[in-house]
Amino acid sequence: MKRNKSPYLFALPAIAVLLLVMVVPVVSGIRLSFFEWFLRDIRKEPVFVGLRNFIDLFGSENFQTSIRVTLVFTISVVCLELFVGLVLALLLEDGLPGLRFFRTVFILPVMIAPVVVGVIWKFLYNPSYGKINYFLSVLGLKEVGWLSDPHMALISIIITDIWQWTPFVFLLLLAGLQGIPSDLSDAARVDGANYLQNLIHIKLPCISGVIGITAVLRLIDAFRGLVVMFIMTNGGPGVSTEILSLHLYKTAFTDQRLGKASAVAVILLGIITLLSIIFITKNMKDET
Amino acid sequence: MEDYMRRFVVVLLLIFTSSFVFSNGQQDAAGSSPKSVSGEFNWRQCEGETIVTCFPNHVTYNALMPLIPEFEELTGIKVEVDLLQYMKMHDKQVLEMSKPSGDYDLISMVCMWKSEYAAAGMLKELEPFFNDPSLAYPDYDFDDLVPAYVENTGYVGGKKIYLGGPGAKLYGVPFGAETSILIYRKDIFDKYNLKVPETYDEVLETAKFIYENVDGMYGMTSRGASGHQANAAYLLHASPFGARVFDENWEPVVNSPESIKTLEWMKKMFSYGPPGMTSFAQDGEFQAFLQGDVAMYLDASVFAGKARDPKQSKVYDKLGYAMHPKQENRLSESGGFGLAIPANASHPEAAFLFLQWITSKETERKVIENGGAPFRTSSVNDPILQDEYPEFKALALQLPHVNPDWRPIIPEWGEIDNIMGIAVNQVLTGEKEPQEAMDGIMAPIREIMVRAGYIK
Repeated sequence: MKRNKSPYLFALPAIAVLLLVMVVPVVSGIRLSFFEWFLRDIRKEPVFVGLRNFIDLFGSENFQTSIRVTLVFTISVVCLELFVGLVLALLLEDGLPGLRFFRTVFILPVMIAPVVVGVIWKFLYNPSYGKINYFLSVLGLKEVGWLSDPHMALISIIITDIWQWTPFVFLLLLAGLQGIPSDLSDAARVDGANYLQNLIHIKLPCISGVIGITAVLRLIDAFRGLVVMFIMTNGGPGVSTEILSLHLYKTAFTDQRLGKASAVAVILLGIITLLSIIFITKNMKDET
Repeated sequence: MEDYMRRFVVVLLLIFTSSFVFSNGQQDAAGSSPKSVSGEFNWRQCEGETIVTCFPNHVTYNALMPLIPEFEELTGIKVEVDLLQYMKMHDKQVLEMSKPSGDYDLISMVCMWKSEYAAAGMLKELEPFFNDPSLAYPDYDFDDLVPAYVENTGYVGGKKIYLGGPGAKLYGVPFGAETSILIYRKDIFDKYNLKVPETYDEVLETAKFIYENVDGMYGMTSRGASGHQANAAYLLHASPFGARVFDENWEPVVNSPESIKTLEWMKKMFSYGPPGMTSFAQDGEFQAFLQGDVAMYLDASVFAGKARDPKQSKVYDKLGYAMHPKQENRLSESGGFGLAIPANASHPEAAFLFLQWITSKETERKVIENGGAPFRTSSVNDPILQDEYPEFKALALQLPHVNPDWRPIIPEWGEIDNIMGIAVNQVLTGEKEPQEAMDGIMAPIREIMVRAGYIK
């Protein structure tokens, strides 16, 4: 029987639009990374410089710091959010009174616009007028320079991100837990398994797929994080919170070097793609 | 079915024809009233036009905003204002001015950007406008504008690209321009019998005294956030210390002994300041003083308008004003904003009328009353105004010491400013030692200067 070609024809317009809107900008961005183009000379032609942008970047101390900051931030945030989200999901699975109320309250942070989150936490962290230092002083503890101390700034941002995104992880893991067929844990209980054994040998393996997907989603998102850093510290003190996206923005608009900024974007794209591939193939291997 | 089709076609036709009727509403009514050659200046020559401006959310412009309806009534020109945080204006302005026809007719530019804009051909020269008898307001009195401000915010292409002198062209007029003066808490100084500091050493001693002896108060406020803010603070003090960014051959000299001395002074200064100063942008710096936490302020003079406003300041009636302290010299900064007309503006004549009106003598008086900063020599030296606004006395004494060359605002300055600012911030937080930090940025800065052609 001859294969019906009409489905492909019907899909063609959608694919064409997708190609136009997604592929063309990415390809031209990659192409731009081999050129030098100043924002103030935007009416002139870009100048071809080959790999110079990439060589400059990898030799730049600030760029190396930015990569390090991004990796530290992303890995910390993903691990901590998975842990806290899992604990919350296990606590709020079922059986407690007022569960719906707690679930609603815990979801709220993720519904607030990131800009608002940044502004709220900037006020909370304010060394002279912020609530956090106020409570520390009431308890007799030393006040902290949350956003002005180069050793604390990144930690402060990580705390804010955990506050904001754990609810997202919590939601996904909760859905995963509720999808576990109850006869599995019933059978385990009949066999004499306690809570911890049930957790480690039944629940976690069942939701390992969900954990994997959640981790990838958070990883990709955290890697591209920008808004909160931008509002709270603008990359400072020094460059201790200058995550890659922020470094990209500054290269494009403060240094005005669009070609070099495209190179940063290419590197960012490369890292995220690599991590995603690793995660997804590892996940698929686990599934089989 | 036919019925629907017919109704549809009729409606379409109606829409089509009515669009002709209404489409001429935006046309310029340039010929509505004759341009006068002599006598009364014709403010209504661009009546009916709409101009779009880009202004910063900053002291002098906030003072201007309530007055704009007066201009609209006088001229029949409608004004739309895009109000942005002052550093964020840059990106929007560059993008608009790079288009074949931009949305902005009048912009306020931080003086740092004037060389960059002018060199890229993004601005209209203003001399032709001032020389056009039909457009130039006869009572404008250009020479009354403070010359240091005009040079700093308007001239490009003179002795150095960002200075006046032979070959310079006028691209902007000052509005929101500033120099630096010392504002201090007179009540605290009187209470503890403190002398108003004249030198940088005295400033440090006074700050230390206040930090150690006055409960709940700190010495001096400052900007410190990594990047442009920290570098603005650094260069402000570097000028009197005799530290420069480049030598005569455009070689960077940011690691000179004078620079290190400046940074060491700043480090000590910061230890007597309020917590978190290393993350202060300009508004953080302002707030610390307005809330009454610090005894001294040494930075842009335009802040005086805010400090003496009871609606914004807790200490509005406790202020004293003095000149910028001395080290090797007492050269103060020159900065702030200038008004310019983009080369691709759609309504340049209307924009020029607005520019003149904003910087005219009459409007300046009203702006001063609203808390804006003066920019005309006649106002700064006017004894009646000096009585009413005591900072004018300090300003009048300071203006002869303004240094137009305190900051090399070449087109490439944005990148260099950021590199220096990161290093200065790292020194202030203790992350790096001054010599180490400044040595570390010599090569990147030099590379920029070589690539841009300043160093062969």
